[in-house]
Amino acid sequence: MAARERDDNGGQDVLRRAGDASVLILTSLADGSKHGYALIQDIKGFAGLQLGPGTLYGALDRLERMGLIEALPAEDRRQPYRITAAGVVALRAHLDSIERVSSVGRLRLGLGGI
Amino acid sequence: MPGSRSMRLVESALRCYPQRWRSRHGDEAAEIASLLIRDGTPAHSVAWSYLIGAARTRLVIEPRWQLGAAVGALLLAAGSLGVPLALSSSAPANAANVAHSRTARPRPADPRYGDSRPADPRYDGGRGGPNRCDRHGHC
Repeated sequence: MAARERDDNGGQDVLRRAGDASVLILTSLADGSKHGYALIQDIKGFAGLQLGPGTLYGALDRLERMGLIEALPAEDRRQPYRITAAGVVALRAHLDSIERVSSVGRLRLGLGGI
Repeated sequence: MPGSRSMRLVESALRCYPQRWRSRHGDEAAEIASLLIRDGTPAHSVAWSYLIGAARTRLVIEPRWQLGAAVGALLLAAGSLGVPLALSSSAPANAANVAHSRTARPRPADPRYGDSRPADPRYDGGRGGPNRCDRHGHC
């Protein structure tokens, strides 16, 4: 599989095994920094699903460890996060990968490529 | 503001996180829970999400929990298989006996198999009684 080969050859889709929550959070942070509750609300708005708070914090910790997001100084009790340059690269690579799969799927379903 | 009972449930779940996590996220996590419950999310759903998150966090940042979880899973599996919970101090010896009986002991005398050897007294525990081993050598 092409995507598999890309990864084995040092491809950049580090989000492939990071989980859907990570991708949703990075997508939400792509247009600016947000704190936890704002992330949940934004993701609910564009993806139609509500992340559980435990899932949210797990993904935030994982993304921070991977260097894809960083915490900003806390505002009151709220901790905002922003996407890093590495996070932008990773998100772009993952979206490209999804797009390739989506195009193939649509072609095979007779829906036409994007 | 959500009811105190709802928040107590959430706070109980939050207490399951490691201290380091709570000192960093605890206040915000409680506030998010409060806002979600106010928006109509069931308190038990929020608490459950935090509970699962706490278990995962401990597995990631406290590796010794992995050993605990593995031991717990093994005990659970053993219990479900009917192994006695009180693993006695002679369990290793018993295990060795079982292994020995299945691998090293010769088949006991059984006239149905035309075996003319006398019955081995070891098979009835040395009591000299009737042979209590089956034809596979299991005693």
